[in-house]
Amino acid sequence: MNETPLLEVGELALSYAGVPALHGVSFRVGRGRVAGIVGESGSGKSTLGAAILRLLPPSARVTGGNIRFDGRDLLALSPGEMRALRGTRVSFISQDPLRALIPTLSIGRQMSDIQYRRSGGRQRKRRRAAEMLERVGVPEPEQRLRAYPHELSGGQRQRVSIAMAMMMRPDLLIADEPTTALDATLEAQIVTLLRELQAEAGCAMIFVTHDLGLLPELCDEVVVMERGEVRETGPVGRVLNAPASDYTRMLVRCDPARVAEKTRRLPTRSGSWKASDPPWLGPPERIRRGEPPVLAVEGLEVTFRRRSWLRGALGTRGDFVVRAVRGASFRVEQGETVAIVGESGSGKTTIARSIVGLQKSERGSIAVGGTDVTGLPPRALKALRRKVAMMFQDPVGSLSPRFRVGRLVTEPMVIHGIPTRDRRGEAVRLLDLVGLDASFADRYPHELSGGQARRVGVARALSSSPELVVADEPTAGLDLSIQGELLNLLAEIQESIGLAILIITHNLAVVRHISDRTIVMHRGEFVEQGTTETLFRSPRHEYTRRLLAASRHEPGESQVKASARTGDLDGETP
Amino acid sequence: MLLFVLRRILLGLLIVLLAVTTLYCLVQAAPGNPIDILLGPRGSPAMKAALEARLGLDQPLPVQIVKFFGSLLEGDLGLDIKTKRPVAELVLERLPKTIALLAASLLFASALGIPLGCFAATHRDSIADRIVGVASVSVISIPPLIIAIYGLLLFAAWLKWLPAVGAGDRGDLADQIYHLVLPTLAVALNWIGYVARLVRASMLEILNEDYIRNARAFGLGEGRVVFRYALRIAVAPTVTVLGIGVGYMLGSAIFAEIVFARPGIGKLIYDALLVRNYPVIMGSVLASTVILVVATTVSDILNALIDPRIRQGQEA
Repeated sequence: MNETPLLEVGELALSYAGVPALHGVSFRVGRGRVAGIVGESGSGKSTLGAAILRLLPPSARVTGGNIRFDGRDLLALSPGEMRALRGTRVSFISQDPLRALIPTLSIGRQMSDIQYRRSGGRQRKRRRAAEMLERVGVPEPEQRLRAYPHELSGGQRQRVSIAMAMMMRPDLLIADEPTTALDATLEAQIVTLLRELQAEAGCAMIFVTHDLGLLPELCDEVVVMERGEVRETGPVGRVLNAPASDYTRMLVRCDPARVAEKTRRLPTRSGSWKASDPPWLGPPERIRRGEPPVLAVEGLEVTFRRRSWLRGALGTRGDFVVRAVRGASFRVEQGETVAIVGESGSGKTTIARSIVGLQKSERGSIAVGGTDVTGLPPRALKALRRKVAMMFQDPVGSLSPRFRVGRLVTEPMVIHGIPTRDRRGEAVRLLDLVGLDASFADRYPHELSGGQARRVGVARALSSSPELVVADEPTAGLDLSIQGELLNLLAEIQESIGLAILIITHNLAVVRHISDRTIVMHRGEFVEQGTTETLFRSPRHEYTRRLLAASRHEPGESQVKASARTGDLDGETP
Repeated sequence: MLLFVLRRILLGLLIVLLAVTTLYCLVQAAPGNPIDILLGPRGSPAMKAALEARLGLDQPLPVQIVKFFGSLLEGDLGLDIKTKRPVAELVLERLPKTIALLAASLLFASALGIPLGCFAATHRDSIADRIVGVASVSVISIPPLIIAIYGLLLFAAWLKWLPAVGAGDRGDLADQIYHLVLPTLAVALNWIGYVARLVRASMLEILNEDYIRNARAFGLGEGRVVFRYALRIAVAPTVTVLGIGVGYMLGSAIFAEIVFARPGIGKLIYDALLVRNYPVIMGSVLASTVILVVATTVSDILNALIDPRIRQGQEA
């Protein structure tokens, strides 16, 4: 190829408030090609995407290198010239669809506004917008133009963002983790859509992601980044199958979806795990069936009602009722790991909240160690919460920023009146249990990395010596290497103290390895439950099959093809 | 939207009801009463009893309150104890002066505060931003009474640029506006600082949002992104604060009206309080409560116009 590439980044160096974020990054994207930029959090991959559009925060300074787009150095353009390129020749899709659109303006208004450079009146612009919405698969586009962003589901909002980015037929589309905030089924749909639109428009695309599984779906080339440096570039098949750099090898090794055999010990960055090692499933006597079991849920029903007093008084509309959980029954034994999987809105988090007494149930019973806890007075609930600990999704957000770690991990002891003569000693013991040294007791939450904050979350959950830990999306937002460490830690603790674990997640790749039994939830109902092996090998329910197809990254079969084969997924809940 | 407005208006009425009841009790609980002040030390017990009966002060407090609301529905606020004029007339005569002062103050505070805050946010950490910051805080920390007194001394007594007293009742509109300048300065100067700080903070937050970066990524101009998109969202908290701020401004307006001898509601409350003129106190307090409730209701409605999520009752 002697044609000049569409985009050529050469030795780009950049720093935030003096702290280097990118060091000498070089890569090129050919016309109509798709380049994947992959890396863990903090690798600079999103910074790179924003740098191409020159939309970095004011604290960022480019300290060297150049970005050539179609032969012109973008860094040398005037702000006006740069703006002329944005939206028409280079477009952008951001990560979080809930924050991507202006909340106070209708979809139609926003889609018309970005056509300001085009001729035609308001009607014509709206018609163009409606056509584009139709193309990206938004139902009833004319009506959606009148809607405000908050009236659409996350998946639909991401489709609107894509429609807006593609409307001007750009030469280069930069997509910054466009599917990270979405469920597996939605992710598959959005990836398919992006691929179709890219092929139709013949544009080049930069697809920023942390998910190796998505790379073969979309990309021609891959740029692997770590700590602001490019570790490796090359065709996608070669990079994934025969990685040249140690870092890429580590990334590939840590992807649980690429571990063929079931294992309870996931590969980690530092771990000595090798693909040739025999699968490690833990001592078989780990699970101790008992009567009563640690947790027994029978026919649980949770209904959300929203009653507006004025509406009631005026009789304009009845109650707004959502049956979030419809007749859920399951057990968790001592030392067992049970996973509830499903898309967002399926009701899985509602079950978790009911078990720890944060959510009132309509019908059914939740027995912890034989005692029914539904309808218990607040005082009795406190005793329950000592036996059942919750690990929250957002690790830093669930730790009070004003307390030190030592105080945070022992806080449940104080709340439950567990006598401790030496609070610091207890804190150090708990931190040791989760693999953090004593010095962490004096740190504040903002001084922890994402992985360390999760470990503190585990220590905090364990401090009241619970029998059951309920973990809500324990792997959300974690890099693969840290995810492995965290789950291995939980498994180790489980073996040493016979803990029962209930995991709420949509990460099927992880569930396959770590959980003993799996429950599939869809629209408030349990559609299937059984041992994880059976469920993954021979799913009986149609929905389970679709869910598995959407999340499977199997060598030789692409995820998108798999989900396309099983038909369109109705994953969206408004 | 209609439902939203209806609900806010109902809530407003309820607030007026509660506020007036509370104030009725508080005023009566204060030491001193109009009988002693009107009759002086020589009033006989019989005269006192007769006057009490005539003013309805001999009845139990709950009965008085119910009667007050009853006649209120007929537009009757009772008679001024001293001048025997209907209180409603008195209040309506003074009300426009205070409303003009408050409106001018709101206008002044937003017309200067919003652009200043916006400018500071878009020029973050520049020298201009620091100057605006220091100036805002300095202005916030001067009590309105001090501004009124020194404003009077400097601009009226010494420089003789502006009139010192009155509301320019006998003059034309220009004269009335002329008379409004110093009182407005006293009431609004603090608020320019508040509004500038508030707008700056919320602008900085909004300008950091993904959707603003995305708007720029579509090639939209800075003018549209900053003023049409970001500012519109960023003024929402300011609108709420200004709505509640009308209450504080009413407090400052009392000082301003006293210092500049401006015949408004504030001056009316002050004069009536000195002589425990219950009907006038209640009438003018009712008027200021209504002003406050209308202001907060309007700010709620403005917020609902800005943000469709509020309009659709998602804030619960």
